[in-house]
Amino acid sequence: MGNVVQSEARGAVRFSSVEVCGNMAGLELLSDQGYRLDGRKATELRKVQARMGVFAQADGSAYLEQGNTKALAVVYGPHEMRGSRSRTRHDQAVINCQYSMATFSTAERKRRPHGDRKSTEMSLHLKQTFEAAVMTQLYPRSQIDIYVKILQSDGGNYSVCVNAATLAVIDAGIPMRDYVCACTVGFVDETPLADLCYAEESGGVSSLALALLPRGGQIALLQMDARLHQDHLETLIEAAMTACKGVSKVLDEVVRQHLQESSVLSGE
Amino acid sequence: MKDTPLSNCERDFLLKAIEEKKRLDGRQTYDYRKMKITFGTDFGCCFVDLGKTRVMAQVSSELVTPKESRPNEGIMFFNIELSPMASPAFEQGRQSELSVKLNRQLERCLRNSKCIDTESLCVVSGEKVWQIRVDVHMLNHDGNLMDAASIAAITALCHFRRPDVGIQGDEVTVFSPEERDPIPLSIYHMPISVSFAFFQQGTYLLVDPCEREERVMDGLLMIAMNKHREICSIQSSGGIMLLKEQVMRCSKIASIKVSEITELISKALENDKKARKAGERCGFAESMPQERITALKMDETPVEMTDVTEKANDIVHNADAPPQMVPSPVVPIPGVGQVGQGVQSTWGLEEDDEGEEEENDNSGEEQDEKVTRMEEEKLESREGDVVEISDSEEEEVVILNPEKVSKNTGYTSHHKGAAATQKRKRK
Amino acid sequence: MFSSLKDKVGQVLLPGDEFSFQADDTISLSGPVKPEKMVCGPGLRRSGDRLLVCKSGVLRHKPPNMFWMDSQQRRYVPVKGETVIGIVTVKSGDVFKVDFGGSEQASLSYLAFEGATKRNRPNVQVGDLVFAQFLVANKDMEPELVCVDSVGRANGMGVFGSGGLLFTVSLGLVRRLLAPHSDVLQDLQQLFPCELVVGMNGRLWVKSSSLQRTLVIANLLQSCDTMTAPQRQTLFRRVAQGAL
Repeated sequence: MGNVVQSEARGAVRFSSVEVCGNMAGLELLSDQGYRLDGRKATELRKVQARMGVFAQADGSAYLEQGNTKALAVVYGPHEMRGSRSRTRHDQAVINCQYSMATFSTAERKRRPHGDRKSTEMSLHLKQTFEAAVMTQLYPRSQIDIYVKILQSDGGNYSVCVNAATLAVIDAGIPMRDYVCACTVGFVDETPLADLCYAEESGGVSSLALALLPRGGQIALLQMDARLHQDHLETLIEAAMTACKGVSKVLDEVVRQHLQESSVLSGE
Repeated sequence: MKDTPLSNCERDFLLKAIEEKKRLDGRQTYDYRKMKITFGTDFGCCFVDLGKTRVMAQVSSELVTPKESRPNEGIMFFNIELSPMASPAFEQGRQSELSVKLNRQLERCLRNSKCIDTESLCVVSGEKVWQIRVDVHMLNHDGNLMDAASIAAITALCHFRRPDVGIQGDEVTVFSPEERDPIPLSIYHMPISVSFAFFQQGTYLLVDPCEREERVMDGLLMIAMNKHREICSIQSSGGIMLLKEQVMRCSKIASIKVSEITELISKALENDKKARKAGERCGFAESMPQERITALKMDETPVEMTDVTEKANDIVHNADAPPQMVPSPVVPIPGVGQVGQGVQSTWGLEEDDEGEEEENDNSGEEQDEKVTRMEEEKLESREGDVVEISDSEEEEVVILNPEKVSKNTGYTSHHKGAAATQKRKRK
Repeated sequence: MFSSLKDKVGQVLLPGDEFSFQADDTISLSGPVKPEKMVCGPGLRRSGDRLLVCKSGVLRHKPPNMFWMDSQQRRYVPVKGETVIGIVTVKSGDVFKVDFGGSEQASLSYLAFEGATKRNRPNVQVGDLVFAQFLVANKDMEPELVCVDSVGRANGMGVFGSGGLLFTVSLGLVRRLLAPHSDVLQDLQQLFPCELVVGMNGRLWVKSSSLQRTLVIANLLQSCDTMTAPQRQTLFRRVAQGAL
């Protein structure tokens, strides 16, 4: 539990500093001119940079940066069930996810990179997201491992992990229904803010994380914290979906470029 | 222990039933099961029955030093305990996926939505604050644990009273309830979780899935809301693919359900308050003779005794003799706080008396209540702080009505004293 | 001994109740002493010269000399020759593993079906229901099920279950259903026609002409557990009137 306290502690420091400004909190996050803390527009994403096939040992791997949040994803499988055989499904593959945060990823050093409630939950969410997207029924009685590590955390950890893992799964050549793209959105002054950074996330914004299969517009995971009036939900989901589609374009570009490079190498 | 596997035939049948808009217990798609909220003797102890799902929540408080980062805020702690008592599938000790999921969801639902004023829990800034602990124990698992847990937790928090404290200089005195009345927590709003089960890639949707439905479902969407129609948390789980329209539809249904449940909770709290004020006995000990504790088990396993010794009959007669208690101050109206679309859970047949509780006649005149109980306990049976909710008018309401007891015992002794007695209650 | 037991037939006995072999049985002046023999069923145990009750329930007697306790147990304990409804959980090599609600899974050979040979394997999928009887059931060995009788006929056993509903009831109700001239079944017959498979392990499978009716019957049977005969009859009558 130690690190839970820590991360909350960190949030709290930020929060109290925001609180000092009182009602200014909203204004601070979104200026009158429509700019955010880091100078982005409300619907603007952070810069996404990614690379596929970063490791030789793994079946699939990817590195992804979204602003200052950096994640590494590795995929093994589909392979024979390992560990407890009782989890074997006779009609589909089992997806096993592990989410961890590097000890140096946050401002305060994390003592336990994984295994606490929050990261277990994150692992569960990743698993659920990819169970929806990966065509598991093609590999009965087998297992697909997805390991994700956050190297630097600056908000939107879940979405960055999903995006990185998608690239890794594609790199591993595992059939998927579509890309899964994830994005967090916040809601400030009746305006949805796309792709929250840490300062915004901890600034008491109601945030919504959404994983989307962009082509069909299907939501693989939806998670929301904090209070939001029902009437605003639609706008927020709408904004999140747009943001996810934006992410998917970037990922698509990365995959195409990667394939081109590798085909050039193999072709000649 | 391993759970009983689900057979293909059950799965097929359930899916087919859902397609035909039928449910195993005769509910409609958007109906909740019968909900019952009861309180223990202590403040902050609450039992919630949702059909056969049974959950207990207990709130306790303690003076601790606050977190450094938040020196003038009290600490909230939530824990859901999945004991193997509730279901053979739960394992002792290990943090299972389900337990992590439920715990986090409850935390999100109640802590992150800031429904409790934590600043009011501060006694001495930076030194002493109240830590409020909510322990939710699953007693019986028949699906939809999250909703039951969230209702139990928030009701227990509303019911809870912390001891009053006095500060003189550096000294903090905690007053016992005799010295000063304990103080309720200040609660801004009541987030209540509503679960939706999706079937066949989201084609069909059910509210309040029971255990078997949960095993067949593709995925679950949990929406926590308060009655002001503010969404406090949304969580989808189980690898389904939702469409935006479905989420919107669910949020609309959730807002209706939440307002109904909130009403029920406040009614239950009010009833309990009245009962306590009137000096009635209430709580756990009181619920024993009323079979509130064991009723669940007994419903299913009647002690089938075709013959009972004359002694037992004697006891019955003796038990009859003492006059019944004064009628309870609170008489819940059957079907109070009805959850559901107001539709009856009919079984689609022409006549309307089908369903699980087929014992009751739907003409609405007669409601039979079958309670298996030992005769000796009849003495005590009276109405306390129970609020019943039934998703349809015709379903039986478990109210042990004192006036009818003597009649019942007569009835039983007719049947050579079976342990099972039948109660008839005119509506 | 015999008489004291007979006196108690139909009464509720509790674990720890005991009967002792009385001395007067052995002193007989006229004719040779015929030793009394009796058969103890479930819930009765002999301990030295005493007979102990070890389950709570009602003492039952079947002439000439069988006694047993009719107890309310929820967990099924396999008995050789009893028929149960099982769920196939694993297909491995030549045996299926079958869950029947007991303490351990039973094995079911793929040859133990009517007409099955090494070449001609039965079509059984994981999750299917089988109606089978116990060939081996004792406390030291893994229980074994077969879907054929002693002459190799299916005799109603085998894989079944499409379109019906499986549910569980108490073991007591199952015994009541299977008793000759069962009153519950007779009441049920007056309702709509249905197929009913009753496993001694407390599992019932029902199928009727429509889903609706299947559900009604399933719910009726489940509620039978807690009803007296007149209550049940009125209920069944009401359903019959409503449905027709």
